[in-house]
Formats: sequence, structure tokens, C-alpha cells
Amino acid sequence: MSEIHGAVGSYVVNALDGDEREEFEAHLAVCPTCTREVQEFCETAAELSLLASATPPPAALRSSILSAISEVRPLPPELLPPELLPPEPSAEIAPVQPSPPTAETAPADRPIDELALRRQQRHTRILSVLVAAVVAAALALGGVVYGLVQARQSQVAQQAAETELLTAPDVKTYTATMKDGGQVSFVVSRSLNRAMFVGKGLPAVGADRTYQLWTLEGQRPIPDNTVPGGGDRKEFFRETLGGVTGLAVSVEAAGGAKQPNPSTIQVITELAA
Amino acid sequence: MNGSSLPPDSEGGEPSGSAVRFGASSSRDTGFSSGWETGAAQLVELITLCSRGHEEAFAELYDRTSQRIYGIILRVLRSPDHAAEVMQEVYVEVWRQSARYSRDKGSVIAWMTTMAHRRAVDRVRSVSSEVARDERYAFHGGDREIDQVWDGVEQRLDVERVRRGMASLTPIQREALTLAYFGGYTQSQVAQLLKLPLGTVKTRIRDGLIGLRDALGVEA
Repeated sequence: MSEIHGAVGSYVVNALDGDEREEFEAHLAVCPTCTREVQEFCETAAELSLLASATPPPAALRSSILSAISEVRPLPPELLPPELLPPEPSAEIAPVQPSPPTAETAPADRPIDELALRRQQRHTRILSVLVAAVVAAALALGGVVYGLVQARQSQVAQQAAETELLTAPDVKTYTATMKDGGQVSFVVSRSLNRAMFVGKGLPAVGADRTYQLWTLEGQRPIPDNTVPGGGDRKEFFRETLGGVTGLAVSVEAAGGAKQPNPSTIQVITELAA
Repeated sequence: MNGSSLPPDSEGGEPSGSAVRFGASSSRDTGFSSGWETGAAQLVELITLCSRGHEEAFAELYDRTSQRIYGIILRVLRSPDHAAEVMQEVYVEVWRQSARYSRDKGSVIAWMTTMAHRRAVDRVRSVSSEVARDERYAFHGGDREIDQVWDGVEQRLDVERVRRGMASLTPIQREALTLAYFGGYTQSQVAQLLKLPLGTVKTRIRDGLIGLRDALGVEA
């Protein structure tokens, strides 16, 4: 059993500190075994809570809470696919845990990053839906996808390059699972000569290591951009695709490597001509 | 409050009819002492009504669960002032998130307890970073955590089951689990309190939960 699986108990009893928790949740997103165990342990922990003697809360609290909720509108249900819902302040992706604190109740030490992180995650999720939709629609792009792309464009102007790639008439997506369990997609357009790496639920690789992208010209690997581990990431390849026959990802020491080592390679994908 | 239920504005809402159910079920004093499994389906029904904006359903949910939820929050935080604040946060969040509850994710009470425990622990951490719940307290706190849990337990059947489950664990599993869950300590703090390597503590906490789960026959 890898070390990260072992943290499942500590996660459920909230004994992980902020970084450990984040790392575990990134793992949780891609590990059905841990997800199931978390769910079981949450039931067990709920029973364990019985050992704290049930205590009637102060009567005033009841009326205070009841009047508080009368001013709060319940969130709408999550429709499928959730990625297509308009942004909600407390949109949640962790499978079991309740929502992290909302902005107004968040502990002072980590409100801002969390929001930024969630926004980032949402963008990545929107992106992966787009990727899926593009694949499904093959060359004939449907109006829905185009509309989504339009919406996205106005939402995030600097990501026009992504939009261009995703809407390229010859866009192709290659998906694969890396050795360490991370899910990757390469979004490739020969006509634009560009490729993008999209990683979902990447394992954390530690501060001193990084994912590195490679383009392959036949047998010759050429180092490309690096991508930090942990969570959902996307990154364009720096190199254009002339002469490139494949794409690869490895894990290297921070800063990247000039030459990949067979043991560090996570995934190699051959591209169609 | 009663009778002033307003469904969310976007829905037509059918507040009539549901009120009948509330009256029929006795709740306030039975709580969970008669076995919460029988109440689990009713809690699902109540949370479903909450998601449609029924405040009476929420009031009933509160009455059925508040002693238990307050119990664990107070146990972790010890301060009634902090506990009241966290309690309010938790229940407002339960109301807001009621449509996001899904049976697939487990029981309502586990969903609520998880939320309550996490927020209580988050409060412990943010408070202790303010006023430094220092190591000295922590070291003396070790035995107290265990004692309070074992002495202050009510003699109820379901509590007895959990007690027996806890008793089936090894002492280290039990201590590690108790310090983490009721003490609100991080696994690193638990390791220091018990003078054990972190990896050992991590394993003991997980093994403790596995042992307890198996002893209780809990199914997700």
C-alpha cells in the first residue's frame, strides 16, 4: 500500500494539516478505493461521535439558527454534468467531505487561495468537458460546444489560445493514464501546429520534483515545459509540432531534465501524422 | 417561524401536504437513543424537504440531530461560545447544501457529523494559532482526552455498542483515534503526544477505524 492511501483514516478524522489534506484530496479524486474507504469511515466516525455525550444546545441557539436560515436560500441541486452549471460560490468537487468553509466563514489563514484554486479547478473542468465534447463531435463541431467556447472566451480572455486549439477543425485528443495514476489528455492540432497537456488529478510530486513534458521526433526526445504536480493542470507545449511523432511526460527534479531516464517516464503517446 | 416556510423563489413549491408529516413524527425527545437507523430514512426525507425550502422540515431536522451534533462540536472545542458559533455555521451550511446531499454519499447523520467535526477541528486550529494551545496543555491533555470520553459516556445501548467497539481496539489504536477525533489534534501532534513515529500513528488511526467499523458492522 502506498503511503498516501495510509492517510485515509487521518483524513476522515480531520487529523491532516492543510497541505496534507490538499494532497490527499488530490489523490482521492482519482482513487476509487480510498473514496469508498472514506465513505465507510465517515459512517464509522459518525458512530464514534456518540461517545461525546449528547448535549442539548442552548435554547437561544435554536431560534437564532432558525431565523438565520430563513434568510439563506438553499443552493440548487447539482445537475449533470456539474461542469456546465454556472459558477456557485461553494461548488464542491471533493466526493465525500462537505463543502470547505465559504468565504465569510473561512478561517483567516486560507480563504483567498482556496477561492482561486476552486476557480482554477472549475476552468480546468470546463476545459475537460470541452475536450470530451470536441472528441465526441469529431470534426463537425456542434453549436453547443461553440457556444460554450464563446462563453469561455469572454470569461477568460487570455485563454484564447486554448479556444483556438479546441475549435481547430483537425483537433484530436489522446488520453492516457500515467504510471502514477494521473489522468492525462493531449489536445493536438496539426493545422495549428500546437499541442496542450491536460492533467486531471495529478498526484503531488513534492516541492523538489516536477512533471516534465517532452516532444518526440522519432526516437529523439526534446525537453519541453514543466508542470507542477497535484490537482488539475494544463499547459501548452512550447515546441511546435513539425516533425513531432509523439508526446511524453516524465517526473524530474525541479527545473526539469535535458534527457529523460526510462524510469522517470510516466506516459508516451504516439501521434497520428 | 412555524408556518412561514417560503420555498425558493425559482420553484413553484407545494408547501401544503408536507406539513402533515411533521406532526406525525415524534422527534424531540426520542432523538437517536432509540437507534438512529430507524430514523435514517426520515432524515433523508427531511433533508429533501429542506432542499425545497421547507423551514419546518429544517426545524425538525434540527430537533432530531442538534443534541448529537452539538455534543461532538462541544467535545472537540470545549468552549460553549465557540461551539455555538460553529453550530450555527454547520446548520446554515446543512440548509444551504441540502440539495447537494445524496444518498449515494452515505447517511444524513454521517454527512452532518462529518461537516460538524471538520468545522469544529478547523476552529480548533484557527483558535490555537491565535492563542497558541500550547504543547504543555497538549501533554497534560492526553490523559484527560481518554478519561473524559470513557467516564462521561451515557449508558445507552448504541453508545454501549460503540464503547465495546472501542474496547476491541488495541490501546494505541484507541488512544490515537481518540486524540485525533475528540481532541482535534493533527496526526503529527498525536505522534508527539504518544511519542510514536508519524507513520505508526497514521496506521494506528486507520486500523482503529477499520477495527471499529468491523466491530460495529457499519456499511456505507
